[in-house]
This record gives sequence, structure tokens and C-alpha cells, in this order.
Amino acid sequence: MKKGNWKNWLLAGLLIPSLAACSTSGSSSKTGDSDYPKKSIAVVAPSGAGGGWDLTARSLTKVLGETKLVDQTMTVENKPGGGGAVYLAEYATQHKKDDYKLYVNSPPILINNLKKEGNSPYGYKNTTPLAQLTKDFGAIVVKEDSKYNSLKELMEAVKKDPKSVTAAGGSAPGSMDHLVAVLPAYKSGVDPKSVKYVSYDGGGEAIAALLGGNADYIATDASAVGEFLKAGKVKVLGVSATERLKGDLADVPTFKEEGIDADFTIWRGIFGPKEMSDSAKDFWTKTLKDLDESKEWQAELERNGWESEFKDAEEFTSFLEEQEKQVEDLLKSLGMNK
Amino acid sequence: MGVMDFLMQGFQTAIQPENLFFAFIGVLIGTAVGVLPGIGPMSGVALLIPVTATLTSGMEPSAAATSSIILLAGVYYGAMYGGSTTSILLNTPGESSSVVTTLDGYQMAKQGRAGAALSIAAIGSFAAGIVSIIGLALLANPLSEMALKFGPAEYFSLMLLGLAAVSGLAGGSITKAWMMTVTGLLLATIGIDAVSGVARFTYEIPVLFGGLEFLTVAVGLFALGEVFKTILHKEDDQERVAKVGRVIPSRTDFKESAGPIARGSILGFFIGVLPGAGATLASFFSYIAEKKLSKNPKKFGKGAIAGVAAPESANNAASGGAMIPLLTLGIPGSGTTAILMGALIMYNVQPGPLLFSDHPDVAWGLIASMFIGNLMLLILNMPLVKVFAKIIETPPKYLLPIIIAISVFGVYAVQVTTFDLYLLIGFGLAGYLLAKNDYPLAPLVLGLVLGPMIENNMRRALTTSNGDFMVFIENPLSAIFLVCSVLWILVPFLLRLKGKNVVINVEG
Repeated sequence: MKKGNWKNWLLAGLLIPSLAACSTSGSSSKTGDSDYPKKSIAVVAPSGAGGGWDLTARSLTKVLGETKLVDQTMTVENKPGGGGAVYLAEYATQHKKDDYKLYVNSPPILINNLKKEGNSPYGYKNTTPLAQLTKDFGAIVVKEDSKYNSLKELMEAVKKDPKSVTAAGGSAPGSMDHLVAVLPAYKSGVDPKSVKYVSYDGGGEAIAALLGGNADYIATDASAVGEFLKAGKVKVLGVSATERLKGDLADVPTFKEEGIDADFTIWRGIFGPKEMSDSAKDFWTKTLKDLDESKEWQAELERNGWESEFKDAEEFTSFLEEQEKQVEDLLKSLGMNK
Repeated sequence: MGVMDFLMQGFQTAIQPENLFFAFIGVLIGTAVGVLPGIGPMSGVALLIPVTATLTSGMEPSAAATSSIILLAGVYYGAMYGGSTTSILLNTPGESSSVVTTLDGYQMAKQGRAGAALSIAAIGSFAAGIVSIIGLALLANPLSEMALKFGPAEYFSLMLLGLAAVSGLAGGSITKAWMMTVTGLLLATIGIDAVSGVARFTYEIPVLFGGLEFLTVAVGLFALGEVFKTILHKEDDQERVAKVGRVIPSRTDFKESAGPIARGSILGFFIGVLPGAGATLASFFSYIAEKKLSKNPKKFGKGAIAGVAAPESANNAASGGAMIPLLTLGIPGSGTTAILMGALIMYNVQPGPLLFSDHPDVAWGLIASMFIGNLMLLILNMPLVKVFAKIIETPPKYLLPIIIAISVFGVYAVQVTTFDLYLLIGFGLAGYLLAKNDYPLAPLVLGLVLGPMIENNMRRALTTSNGDFMVFIENPLSAIFLVCSVLWILVPFLLRLKGKNVVINVEG
């Protein structure tokens, strides 16, 4: 143990000047501690253990440790409540300068900030977006013996008589599954408010409702339906991606192919505090890029069935601006915007 | 003979030394997780996923998946075993599924029958475990199809039946029981409504968006309420420090528990199969059913051993039943099974319709290991009963701080907000005042559990039917449940009107 420590210190001693040299050669770097990180770092998953955010945080810290990209200890903290809104309020007010707390989230950080009911007064603008790590898409799914064979047919039916078609999803109205469920209807000219949407507790219950004949179609994560498709239990009518997916869903057309001009990315990303120091920001920009290029991270993504899509801080921020507009637009059409 | 062949193969997998070892570690940790409030089965399993990943890293993928799921499932049903301990000894339910065990378990402990209560809980859990595994092996496929047919209308009517049966939890007065039920239902409306997305009674306070946490309310009402009572009335029972009686249940105990264990196991298993219903409901339903069936329902709430045996068997059987939708459909019925599913996916084993054909070794290995794990739990728990039962002999001046500490840590570990600690204290005071005035606490807790399920399923059913209430009657299953609930309430009154001496406790 002692020996290892001694070696680490020596290594750190050698690295610090070289890192410092790197950052001084960069143009944008202001002052700040160039030896970041100096102590252990906490990655906060604003949900209980076991959900998507939690798994992302745990995979991230695990791989960063294994690959020695970060030599400080990294821990995961679970801060459940309010669909992420509770901790975001704390993060945006009490930790806005804390370089040692990172935050994992996905589109709800936008949706919670924009919707009227259960509104979170804070959004991604109260953080420093660092990188998008993974992507997933929404899928419109019907039962295998459903009379609808294409998204077009389904939307025609909704258009003709919205009361005759029941849509379902795993989350409350005004949240992600609902938005994905009404998106194609909205873009086909149906009043999204008239779409009959039934919400269930989580995607699993929604699929159960579909298989049990209690819903005509559901909106869920594309990554979650592959197994049901392979088993011949469901038909996937469309995915909200811009181009065809690989793997099990390769034969599924995108919304665009079905003549519906819409797409929606369910991303997962990592955020820093609003007033993150430049040295910390530079560190994470570089480290997360290295992480994305490491084969350990790619293996971890594959193991979890996540698709890789890396956007650095700048791309990610402009993407968030874009998606924010899209979400706002949808919520407005539903009369659920703030 | 297909099933038997597969099961034999499963046993061959499960009996391998490393898998025996993993099953043992799993149930051991599970027992600890169950005993400690705060770390429920859900967080227990989640926290162990990275550990098992490290333990199995050297093995080939399929074997690694089997071994780790054996360990994690062991934690799950081990926790169901251990959950009864604090309920019985300290009136502190560690998991929501053991809330109802406090009603008679704690009374038994106060009468010096803690040993018998703990033993019967362990034996009942074992029997239930075996029943549910047999059910899992034989009925997995037909039952999963049936569970799917259970739509919002059926759920609504079943939950309504649960509420109608609330009189089963009443102490002296039905009216007071109903008042508490309605209070529970009202408290359940706090938070973001899952059907419309509208925030109710949240006053823009984000901690309220998710509603009141069930465990906080239950621990406050039961555990802290009892603490307040003991402090404020200390002169009353200073003398009576309960002695631990015999650890092994007596012959009468066995006779009184055999039926409840059998019925609790079967009822619990079937309720467990329904996604979303779960162990908590199973334990409540079986308790109520036993009280209804019992020859002397007056004994319930005063230390009836059947009141411990039934819910403890039911919640264990439910954890076995919950494996059915998980393994055959890939639909997790509870938070814990959702995490188990995540663990399987990590090993590239996708639970779902293809699991039994793609990975028979994993599925059957798991089922067989559950047999062995349950046996280990029984052997592990029986000697522990003696040790645990001693806790009750601790003088109150040491015991009370321990209960307070366990409650506070437990609640904070789940919720991680100080708000829940205030809530805990508030409900502790409420629990004391209510119990002092003979208001039964269990109906409130049941209302809190059933409230959202009744409401959401009713509105789901109505949305689907475009607002037509006939949907509840047109569905045969739903109609049967509704008729039962109406009868449950009406029959005692009708009999009373006819001047019959009724066994139900109306306005005692």
C-alpha cells in the first residue's frame, strides 16, 4: 500500500507540471487551479438507485476509474425527488461553484423546466453542460396482431377518430413518453390534446398494457423493445431517429420515412455547476473526450445496450437549445407549457 | 416431462460450489438488509450489483450471469425474510411489505412471545418460498398471460375490494377505521398526479412533487408513535419488561398458523404475479382474509400468531410471484425486480419472452437456486431468532434511542432529505395521538398505498372507455370484485337489521 501511494504521488508530481503546461498553452484558459481534480468527485444521479440516470452515473465513474482517466476517487450520490427537480434546485443554488459535483440528466431537465405543472424553476441554463454521452430514441409500438401496420395507418386512424385509439406510455402527461406519443400525431395535423393518452408507472407497465390489449399503441424507448420484437409479440411502427437504427430495429422506418417530419433524441448527458472554473471545465472536456474514445467505455455502452453519441460541451449546448425549442413547441400545442 | 428435466439441469447448475457460495452470500446479506430499516431490498440489490460484477469477472459470461443473479435474487428474498424482525421486535417496519406484521407481531413480542413470532415468520416465509417456486416452475407461462389480461378496470375493482375489506383492520370502531382510510386516501393525493400530470397540494415545493413516502409515514406512525407512548406513559409499564419465552412455537401455535401460512402463500403468490401490485398489498390482503376467516377475529391486533404467519408468508410468496412477469415477459413488477432486470441486461441476458429458450441455464439455475436459498435461510434464521429475541429484554432506556436512531437513519437512507425527517417526527406525534384515542393506524397506511392505485387505474380505465363507467361492469373479473366489495360492506349491516348477532365489530 505504502509503496503504491508513494508511486502515485511521484506520478502526480510529474503530471501536474505537464498538465499545467498544457493548459497554459491553451488560449481560453483563465486563472484557476490547474491541478484539478485535487479531491474526490461526486457524480449525482437525481433519482434512486437502479434507474437510467443512476446506471449512467455508475458506469461513468467505473470506467473513468478503470481507465485511470481520473485518478481521484469518484462516487455516485443518489438524490431522488421530483423527477430530478428537487436536487437540481439544490445544485443550482448551493453548489453553483463546486467543481467537484457533477450531475447526470436527460431530456426531463428541459421538460421539467418548461411544463406548467410540477415545474422546476431551474433548467440546463443553471448548469454547465459538459457532454452528451449516449442516445436513445422514442419508438411507436403496437401489438403483433394489431390492425395497424404502419405509422401512417395509425395516424390516419387517430386523425379520423381520436377517441377510438388509446395511446399509452410509462410516464405522466407532459413528460417524455407522452411527448413522443403525441409527436407524430401533432406533426400529422392532429390536435395533440385530443390524443387519448393513458399513463402507466414506467415502461414495463406500459408494455404490459399493450400486450394485454389495454392500449392500442405505446410510446417507449427504442432500446427497450428489441426483445419483444424478436419474440414476435409486437410491431414497431416507427422510431424518432433521423436515420435507421442498427441491430434489432434495423427494419423499422424512421418518422421521416413515414412522411412525418419529426425526430426526438433521448440523450443522457453530464453537467457541471453553473460557475464551474475554467480549469475544471477544460479537464472534463478533455477527459470525457478521451473516455468516449476508450474501448472500455465502448464496451460498457454495449454491455448496457446504450448507443454511443458523443457531443462535446459546445455541440451539446447548442443541441440543448434546439431541443428546448422543440419541447416548448410541443408543450404549447398541448397547452401544458409554463 | 420437459419441466422436470430443465429443473434437474437447473439443480446441477445451482449445486455447483461457487453457486452455492453465491446463494449463501446473497441470503446472508439479504437477511441483514431486511433487518436494517432504510436499506430496503431495492437499494440492497442495487448496491450489490457492482460487487457481484467484480466477484464474477473471471468467469465466462453465461456462468457469470447465473452466479450473479443467484446472489442478487438471494438478497431479494432474503430481505423479505429479514423484514419481519424489526417489525415484530421494535414495531419498526423495515420494508413497506412488513408494516402489517407489526400489528400482531409487536403485540406478541410484548407478551413475551417474540421467539414464537419470529420463528413462525421464518417458517411461514420458508413454506411460502417453496410454494412460490413450485408455482414459478410449473405455472410461469400461463400465469404471465393471465397477468397481462389484468387491465386497469380489474385493478381498480380489486383495489376497491381491498378498501372495502378495511374493516378487517379496524380495532373497536368501524367509523374510526373509515375515517383513517379516508385520511390515508387524502394524503395519497399529494404530489404530481400520474394521470393528468397536474400538481396537487404541492404548493410549488419540489420535495412534495413525488408525494409522501410510504415508508416515512409508516415508520413515523408505528415506530415513533410507540416511542412517544412509552416515554409519556412510562410509569404504566415500568414493571413489565417482557421476558423472552420459548423460541420454538408451541403445538397450538403451529396448529393456528398452518392454515394462514398455506393461504397466505397462495394468495401472496398470485398477487405478486400482477405487475405493480406487489408484496405490500399481498401482506395486507392476506391479513384481512385471515381475520375474516378466523373463528375469533377479536384476537387479531392483540397478538394472534395467524396475524404474523399470514402476511409474512404472503410477502415472501409475492417476491417469488413477481419473478414471473420479470422472467417470462421482461416486465418488472416492482422496483426491486426492475433492478434485477438491469443486472441481467448487464450480462447480456435479456429477460423476456425469449429468456427460457435462449438462456435456460440462467432461468432454471435461478429457480433451482431459490429452492436451495430458501432452505439456507431457514437454517440461518432459526438460530438467529434466539439472538434477536433477546433484544426485547433490553430496558426501554436503551431500546428507545435505538429505535429512534434506526427510524431516522432508515428514513434518511431512503429519501436523503431532511424534509422527510420532519415528516417522520410529525407522523410519530400523530401516530401517538391517534393510537391513544383508539384510531387504528393500519387503515391509514393502507389508504396511502391503495389511493394512487385506485385512482390511477380508475382513470386509466375511464380514459380508455371514453368516460363510460360500464367498463367496470362489462369486465367479468372486475364485476366479480365489485360485487364482493359491495357484499363485504352490506352483509354485516343487513344481518344486523335482521337482529342477528353479528361477529363483526361495528361500533364496539
